[in-house]
Amino acid sequence: MKTIPPTCPEPETGPRYWRSLDHLAESPEFQQWVQREFPAGASEFTDPVSRRHFVKIMSASFLLGGLGLTGCRKPEETIIPFSKLPEDYIHGVPRFYATAMPTRTGAIPLLVKSHEGRPIKIEGNQDHPDENGGTDHYAQASILNLYDPDRATRYTKGGNSVSREIAVDHLGEISRGLATTGGRGFAILADRSTSASRLRLQNLIAQKFPQSKWFSYEAIDFDVHRQAATIAFGQPSRPVEHFEKAAVILSLDSDFIGSEEESYKHCRGFAQGRRIEKPTDALNRLYVVEPVMTLTGSNADHRLRRPASGIAQVAAQFAAAIIDKQNVEEKWIAECAKDLLANQGKALVVAGYRQPLEVHLLAAAMNNALGSYGKTISLMPAPPTKEGTLQDLALDLNAGAVETLIILGGNPAYSAPADLNWPDIQKKAREVIHLSYYEDETAAISTWHLPAAHYLESWGDAITSSGTLVPVQPLIAPIFNGITDIEVLARIAGLNDTNPHSVVRETFKIMAGEGNLDNQWKKFLHDGFLAGNSAKPITATFNNAVVGQARQKIQAAPAPGKEQLEVVFCRDYSVDDGRYINNGWLQELPDPITKLVWDNAICISPKTARELELNHNALPENGKFHNDKVEIEVGGRKVQGGVWILPGMADYTIAVSLGYGRTKTGRVGKGTGFNAYALRTSGSPGWSSGAKLRRTGETYHLVTTQEHGMMEGRPIIREGNLEQYRKKPDFAKNMDLEAHAPNAGPIYKHPYREQPSLKSDVHQWGMVIDLNTCVGCNACVVACQSENNIPIVGKEQVSKGREMHWLRIDRYFSSSPGAHGGNATAAEDPQVNNQPMLCQHCESAPCESVCPVNATVHDEEGLNLMAYNRCVGTRYCSNNCPYKVRRFNFFDYNRRPLDKLTDSPLQSPSELMRWFKKPEEGSIPQDEWELKKLVKNPDVTVRMRGVMEKCTFCVQRIEGAKIAQKVKAGASGNVRVPEGTFTTACAQACPAGAIVFGNLADPDSAVNKLKAQPRNYSVLGFLDTKPRLTYLARIRNPNPAMPDYYDMPLSLKEYSDHHGNPMDTHASPDRDHAHGTEVKAEQKGGH
Amino acid sequence: MAQTAVSQKSSVEVIETPRELEREPLVLNNRSLGWISDQIAGIVEGKTPWWWWAAFVPSVLGMFMCFGCIAYLISTGVGVWGLNHPVGWAWDITNFVFWIGIGHAGTLISAVLFLLRQKWRTSINRAAEAMTLFAVACAGIFPLIHVGRIWFAWWLFPLPNSNDIWPQFRSPLLWDVFAVSTYGTVSLLFWYVGLIPDLATMRDRAKTKMRKFAYGLFALGWSGGNRHWSNYEKAYLLLAGLSTPLVLSVHSIVSFDFAVSQVPGWHTTIFPPYFVAGAIFSGFGMVLTLLVPLRTICKLQDIITVRHVELMCKVILATGSIVGYAYGMEFFIAWYGGNPYELYAFKNRAFGPYCWAYWAMITCNVISPQLFWFKWCRTNVVFVFIVSIFVNIGMWFERFVIIVTSLHRDYIPANWGYFSPTWVDILTFVGSFGLFMTLFLIFMRFLPMIAISEVKGVTPQADPHHPLGGAKGGHH
Repeated sequence: MKTIPPTCPEPETGPRYWRSLDHLAESPEFQQWVQREFPAGASEFTDPVSRRHFVKIMSASFLLGGLGLTGCRKPEETIIPFSKLPEDYIHGVPRFYATAMPTRTGAIPLLVKSHEGRPIKIEGNQDHPDENGGTDHYAQASILNLYDPDRATRYTKGGNSVSREIAVDHLGEISRGLATTGGRGFAILADRSTSASRLRLQNLIAQKFPQSKWFSYEAIDFDVHRQAATIAFGQPSRPVEHFEKAAVILSLDSDFIGSEEESYKHCRGFAQGRRIEKPTDALNRLYVVEPVMTLTGSNADHRLRRPASGIAQVAAQFAAAIIDKQNVEEKWIAECAKDLLANQGKALVVAGYRQPLEVHLLAAAMNNALGSYGKTISLMPAPPTKEGTLQDLALDLNAGAVETLIILGGNPAYSAPADLNWPDIQKKAREVIHLSYYEDETAAISTWHLPAAHYLESWGDAITSSGTLVPVQPLIAPIFNGITDIEVLARIAGLNDTNPHSVVRETFKIMAGEGNLDNQWKKFLHDGFLAGNSAKPITATFNNAVVGQARQKIQAAPAPGKEQLEVVFCRDYSVDDGRYINNGWLQELPDPITKLVWDNAICISPKTARELELNHNALPENGKFHNDKVEIEVGGRKVQGGVWILPGMADYTIAVSLGYGRTKTGRVGKGTGFNAYALRTSGSPGWSSGAKLRRTGETYHLVTTQEHGMMEGRPIIREGNLEQYRKKPDFAKNMDLEAHAPNAGPIYKHPYREQPSLKSDVHQWGMVIDLNTCVGCNACVVACQSENNIPIVGKEQVSKGREMHWLRIDRYFSSSPGAHGGNATAAEDPQVNNQPMLCQHCESAPCESVCPVNATVHDEEGLNLMAYNRCVGTRYCSNNCPYKVRRFNFFDYNRRPLDKLTDSPLQSPSELMRWFKKPEEGSIPQDEWELKKLVKNPDVTVRMRGVMEKCTFCVQRIEGAKIAQKVKAGASGNVRVPEGTFTTACAQACPAGAIVFGNLADPDSAVNKLKAQPRNYSVLGFLDTKPRLTYLARIRNPNPAMPDYYDMPLSLKEYSDHHGNPMDTHASPDRDHAHGTEVKAEQKGGH
Repeated sequence: MAQTAVSQKSSVEVIETPRELEREPLVLNNRSLGWISDQIAGIVEGKTPWWWWAAFVPSVLGMFMCFGCIAYLISTGVGVWGLNHPVGWAWDITNFVFWIGIGHAGTLISAVLFLLRQKWRTSINRAAEAMTLFAVACAGIFPLIHVGRIWFAWWLFPLPNSNDIWPQFRSPLLWDVFAVSTYGTVSLLFWYVGLIPDLATMRDRAKTKMRKFAYGLFALGWSGGNRHWSNYEKAYLLLAGLSTPLVLSVHSIVSFDFAVSQVPGWHTTIFPPYFVAGAIFSGFGMVLTLLVPLRTICKLQDIITVRHVELMCKVILATGSIVGYAYGMEFFIAWYGGNPYELYAFKNRAFGPYCWAYWAMITCNVISPQLFWFKWCRTNVVFVFIVSIFVNIGMWFERFVIIVTSLHRDYIPANWGYFSPTWVDILTFVGSFGLFMTLFLIFMRFLPMIAISEVKGVTPQADPHHPLGGAKGGHH
């Protein structure tokens, strides 16, 4: 469905045409007209936004968005309606553009879907050599930021709006001034970027203005990986891990699946090593040492709780065992090291960004000793940097050495270490120009603020972690006239052509080398990457001297205690470092471990909570969890927040996630969480020791989407150890209730069995989710939300369990009483399981038979459909759904402000009038409404209140693919959609490839092959619902030599205590469980 | 002991019936037919008593509160209630089943007891039937307003339409629509047919033209002729025959809402008989709650006698015991059936977060009616009144327990939740009592609340073979 982007402008040759006498005379008015970024009218697009105006600009941007023809835009009035249809434009057919989302250390290559000029859905670029089409949840949700009504919409000087021209001219003035001073007193503070163009401009500025300074700052910085590699190998380099090649992985506080950068790639690599088809297949093994329960920890085969400050000690012991082959006392470490050593060349040790350089150096040394370099890790060249840190800049500012400071991205006034006292020292610069996406805390104290363009509205480039150049291509003209960092730098550098498109193309020219530039450029934009230009891994010798130095630095840290707690700072799974605070999808995305939404919390272990006499109630009162509100004090700095007791935390450790508690943010982020940056100092960005925790006597209302975390011995997630699986591959089937007591079958014959003619023999849709490869990363949840126009409902509504996610991830803790010496500590070292739960598309759907109005029905292709227009909202279907995957619109979430949902239109006459006049508009503010509707997928109905909704298996995609195939088939009649043509949004976004959707009627389909695996089972199959969505049982791979080895997973043990060991009994061979597909069942002859 | 009073007062010589054959009279103090007419019609014809206003004003306020809450609900969304995910039904359906259960006593008394020739029914059947109608009206509101898009609720009716879409006939909710509307219609007809002779009495006694016209209009020209009586009694018998299966069917079908589903705790074959017993139990509870005070206030102790109260208490004892047996049997089957989900649902009922509701239900429904084994308890009207209130509370809790505790923790533990009502839930329910009482008070102020003609029919005076009967009766 990909289309070639429109051709690029040809360079001007031949006779010169002029459009007016002004043009010919190059009059100042004409010059100004040409220089305006946007045609007349566009730059007045500030606020209030009028709908008509908006649509005009959207349409204009549709034509011009991909071109960057800022000077040559047609006057807008000739664009609507399309008096001349663009050549390759078909109305209603979406277009896909290749672009990339820049990240701190790379970029995620994307394919973005655009409808009538509106980008509406983000997908991974499957064509990219390193990608499978998966993305992370940040990328999926980033499209919502584009349409955020609270984003920066104006250029300001001293807090007052100025025009773009004035602001941009000022940059030119600065540049001219620098030419005379040589850059003295000029500094740039930039966030991290891999943009090749920005690097070129950075070097250009350094060259032109040798005395100017460049500083880099990220609140959560992953640069330590590069630093460690560079030191360890003595040349600028960075490590790239290949988890797919690792058989044994040791993580030292590295949440590589969750909060490390590029985690989506790690998910894929890790899942690759977890994917098994037959019992003889090998499975990787993951050891994790960490202070906080993370996604990585929840996927571990063995997990050791240690305070963050104790990780270095553990690393040192590991180093002793692995490098020096010494005996280590602690059995966990000794046995793990043995396992690593036994897998030379297939082992991998990773350290987390939170850990100091010495731990990373030791990890590098271990990897070197294990022969990992060149096998499970490649060393990639990194550009040498001469950048200063935020601390260096603070020194300069305090010394009065900074006249002009340009801040590109970042929000130091909010996130800078508390000891720097940034808001005060920033004022020491004479002039501060701040470029950012929001008018945030830093913008408020800066002289100038420039609104940044979203990456979907700007030209740029980036280099992925694997070293490929990818374009950042706009799909829409900047909605609020924003500017990119490239343009700012180009103007500072004093370039003649500061148009970012030209800058990026110029960079491309340098990188692409010889050849037909136009064709290469077109291919670059079309493919979304520069093929054959990837950086090659380097080979370097490990500098063993660093190991000694690193070891010396590691001293025995005092263990934290009740009075000396340790506060660990975490990157938030939802709002990152605070940049996504105003993104409703991410705010309402449950934290994968705590399942908390709209807040951060003070997480502590159950034991610590007991000792400090803290609690969060097991049961909510009035639908709300009431948690103790506590105050943490470290070095005189205090914050307050709600307590969350989290199993699996190291004792006396407090985990707080960063990014909440913003003072200057939009409607969504306002009043969410507390600011943990207030505790963080430049000396210890990873954790702070010596914290005290005090109850305030108040309570705080934390909201979670999952109030019960135990499986209660029910066979919902089925798992076994690898040895068990090898002995009895179909153990999962043996856990069905009907395996113990055969049921007589349903009273009513299954409609498909009764009348096979009801069924289509062309398409039968089904899905398989492999619980072994699913890591619980949440990307699918946001992808589903984006694809299916799922609204957010706000904290209050989530506290009543009314979140609308069609796809949720259930997280269960399982613990073994007595496993760690008595019940009291049973919950301290839990095992964690994740399960994506969505509509199972039961063939005998319990929801269908109870709907009194026939609003939910089955189609001939096996889909359980929901006719929203027919639904009256009795909620009976939801009550009768055993999986509880139907969601009800209790309010008009799409059309009402979330804080005023319970306000009746009857309450005010004006509102009543509006209700009568424009019932379709709802009561949300006009600007929000205008933007909110732009992100909607036009192929999916936006549901009103009172209507039940649920997963449709992305029926719009199914129908789209079927129509396309019908057109293609023509007279041949081959209307079966070929395998791989399309997939659902969740399966598409899944970086691990754990979700597989396909056609069961196609015997060769991947989904059929997966369903034939012995691990395949259906949840609650005994109800004879015959779900079309089945799961593959999870297989753990523990090491029998480890001290925390269990001969069966804890959840299986819990099940066995209730129902007997499924490894012993035998499933009755003659019964057709609900596991198989219909197709299979029929092949076997059915009942 | 009443016998001596009768013989003393009577001016006519009475031949003593042998004591062992003597039935306790249904109207005490040997009241004459004229006294019966005067006493019952007097409630309607007399000056509006103060207590009527004292009850009516708060009832009307309550009714408007209910309507206000409904307007708020409809204009804003079902979310103003405390419903959530997974608890998709809570007070709405609880209230529905509660009110429809109350509506059961009327038809049982008027139809089943009529067919069984239980003459004592005559003193209470009119009021009980009226109560049934008003309870059904209250019950009808809740399933209507609980839907998300009330303006499309008419789609539940099988109306021909251009899209050829029919309701889903497999859904118990659709059966509900038919069952409840049939029940409401038949009950109304039955009540109205029974009223006709009394309306004629009211017409004949009317002193103003307006009253004469209004009662006359609804009396349908009743003249009390033999043909009229003959037709009337045939019609009444037929309607009684029609209503009797409805008594069993309505609540059976209401119970299908739950029994047909597959929610653990709902999916139980015991539900239909258990629900019917519970409905009769709650219906008699409500009849007692209304009539015990009314017989005193309206000075009807001679017509609604302690014996009536005692008989109703016996019905409560019987049905309460059936309900208690059902509770026990549910637990037994949950254990015996071997389905862990089912067993958990019942354990959770008794010992989970809603155990307070469960034990409130057990106390009110199982323990309190057992006191009616004692005659003192059955005959002390104050005590009976208190127990009847307990029965009402208990039966509301029974529905709450069934609906909410089953839903809040079902199959997938990750999706377990908790329900708490909001002020809208509470005020709508409280307000529905206002609606019920408003209707009932209007009924008792404008219509004879005891079937005059039927009560007369069971007095000795009406029996020509009785010494007091026929022309000997004196001033009729």
